[in-house]
Amino acid sequence: MSTPLTTGWRDVWSSAPAPSEEAGRRRLEVVPTRSQRRARPRTVYAVVAVATLFGIVVAQLLLSVLVTEGAYTVDALQAKQTELSRTHQAATEALGRAAAPQTLAAKAASLGMVANPNLAYLRLSDGKVLGSPAPAPAAQGAAATGTGLVPDALDPQADDAARKKAAHKKAEQKKDEAGNSGSARESDGAADAANVPFTGTLPSPTTH
Amino acid sequence: MRRRTIGAVVVVAAVMAVFMVKLVDVQVVRASALTAASASDRSVTETVSGVRGDIVDSTGVTLARSVLRWNVQISPSVAVKDKTLTKDADDIGRITGLGGAKVLSIIHDAVAADPDSQYAKLIDGIDVTMLNKLNAIDVPWMYFKRVQSRTYPDGAVAGNLIGFVGSGDKAQAGMEYKYNSCLAGRNGTVVYQRGADNVPIPGTKVTSKKAKDGGELVLTIDSDLQWFAQQKLAEAVKDLGGTYGIVTVMNAKTGQLKAVAEYPSVDPNDVGATPAKYRGSQAFQAPFEPGSTFKPITAAALIDLGLATPESRVLAPYHFTSGHGASLYDAFYHKPWRLTLTGVLMMSSNTGISTLGQKLHLSDKDHYDYMKKFGIGTPTAVGFPAESGGILHPYKSWDDQTRYATMFGQGVSATAIQLASVYQTLGNGGVRLPVKLVEGCRLPDGKMIDVPSNKGVRVVKKSTAKQVVQMLESVVTGGELSKQLTIPGYRVAAKTGTAQQSNGDGGYKSTYLVSVTGLAPAGDPQYVVSVNIANPVKITTSAAAAPLFKTIMSQVLKTYRVKPSTTPSPNLPAYY
Repeated sequence: MSTPLTTGWRDVWSSAPAPSEEAGRRRLEVVPTRSQRRARPRTVYAVVAVATLFGIVVAQLLLSVLVTEGAYTVDALQAKQTELSRTHQAATEALGRAAAPQTLAAKAASLGMVANPNLAYLRLSDGKVLGSPAPAPAAQGAAATGTGLVPDALDPQADDAARKKAAHKKAEQKKDEAGNSGSARESDGAADAANVPFTGTLPSPTTH
Repeated sequence: MRRRTIGAVVVVAAVMAVFMVKLVDVQVVRASALTAASASDRSVTETVSGVRGDIVDSTGVTLARSVLRWNVQISPSVAVKDKTLTKDADDIGRITGLGGAKVLSIIHDAVAADPDSQYAKLIDGIDVTMLNKLNAIDVPWMYFKRVQSRTYPDGAVAGNLIGFVGSGDKAQAGMEYKYNSCLAGRNGTVVYQRGADNVPIPGTKVTSKKAKDGGELVLTIDSDLQWFAQQKLAEAVKDLGGTYGIVTVMNAKTGQLKAVAEYPSVDPNDVGATPAKYRGSQAFQAPFEPGSTFKPITAAALIDLGLATPESRVLAPYHFTSGHGASLYDAFYHKPWRLTLTGVLMMSSNTGISTLGQKLHLSDKDHYDYMKKFGIGTPTAVGFPAESGGILHPYKSWDDQTRYATMFGQGVSATAIQLASVYQTLGNGGVRLPVKLVEGCRLPDGKMIDVPSNKGVRVVKKSTAKQVVQMLESVVTGGELSKQLTIPGYRVAAKTGTAQQSNGDGGYKSTYLVSVTGLAPAGDPQYVVSVNIANPVKITTSAAAAPLFKTIMSQVLKTYRVKPSTTPSPNLPAYY
């Protein structure tokens, strides 16, 4: 682009060679062939490879640590499970003892409950009374004292306890009767009856 | 260049050869020894218990359950070196209930026998609560061995039926024994390796054998009703001074037993407390001469063969002689009664039924066949261990006395269950259903196996069965025990019995087996109740069994919400 005149002028005033030409010549390089270019190692690859390797090692190590830690967790949880299942067993056994019919009957007797052998039903659909209702007779014989005649070796104290309770209650009642007028117990009963919680309507079957 | 290559190859090959030799040595030559050594170092074989299945009643209440128990063992030689021995022994004695002195004596006895003693048994079968307490006091010379055990939450309720399991999960009686193959579990094994601190090494667990839990046996009985029957029976037998008693409740429409109460009977939690004789089930295993409760069979045979109707007339004397050797009496003296067949059952006249049998020519073969069809002489479908089928001699061997005695239930024996089955047949329109005690065994995958058959056999015509039940209503409406047997609101059909019992020497005892067996409601029978009390002394006739029959039947009707009868009893004529 420059004119020859200016170039000449520069040659006159400066001993330095024309820089532009020098620079132009240095920029020339030997272009590597494709195979040469491929053969040459590149740092980035090395870094990636080493990092990956390192990553794998670390991951494996971590996994191994986690699995081992998991084994301890599993062990601890299994121990916990054993403990809980034992507690569950103990509770189930206690429930079984408490729910045994002998125990329930003894407890009911100790509360002064009596069974009514007279059969009567109230049919909810039309309110009709079936059978012949009659009040329960006073407990007699073994039922009165809460004596269980069906043994249960699991709970040898049950009968005794119930008996003692029954006796205790009777004594208390006697005290009541002695201290208060005879009507005291009756009014108690009435109060209890009034306190029976009942909400909602009587359930009745749907007829079509 | 080439020499260097060869050199390198040689060196590599040499090193490889060394490795190969080592490899073969380790992997082949010493392999088994090394494996064993390593396995014994780290490998653990653990037994996984297959749990024995529960036994439940028809409502799902557990009657038998498998639990874990622990046997406490001690190392006496270590114990004697313990500085706090007395205190520890006292603690153990207090918790186990053995008492400190007893614990100390066990230790000292063991050491006296062998100074290096490493083992002595302290107590077997402690439960979790006690185990936790013992663990808490942390005694170094005490250790625990876990064992599978069996517990019966309801105690003696249905103990006679359930049976029990001995040591080592070995079933010994009752349903435990009968259905052992379904109930029993199978233990499995797991092999794994463990690290230094006993924690399993991940990925080493191998199940070499899978554990299998046992099935759940479902009984047909109702545990509450069973308890009620047992309690009331025990009260009655004790009150009457009887030897033993049996109460059976059966569903007339299905043949399912709802309760089989016995007194005395075993508490499977404490088998030793019951005399050996009563550890099984008398109801299934001990037949007795039933007496008059057998008369309906004879009546049914007469009607079914067309020989008699409920109105058939007979003059029943106090003393009957057949003319061929047989001689028998009624229970008490009376002038000749003018009875119908209904009246014979109502008054329970031995001479009446014998005269009818003779006059109407009831052949031995027919009579025998009817008893056979009613199930007498053959064990029931329950297949209870050591079940009896009663004794029914072939009719060809009957002598004249036996011919007539069998008409009123002597000279032949049956179990309480068979007796209930006879009334079930009558209540079910003449079709005898297989007696059932189990509904089946439910495997862990929910499949029911061992479900009993429900195929019935027709024994008598429907009309016959109906007529017999109607005749039996007369026993309740007009019989001697009418007052004790009547349940207000319900029509009840029943037959009483006061049976003589063999004394084992060809004669009879002076005491009786008193019984009442019946059905309710008579219009459409739903339940059979059979009450049998042996050798009562306070009241010696069937009047002893009647109140219990009423109590049990009332409870059954209440439990199953059986509707009261709406039609009156037919009141068939008893006299002419």
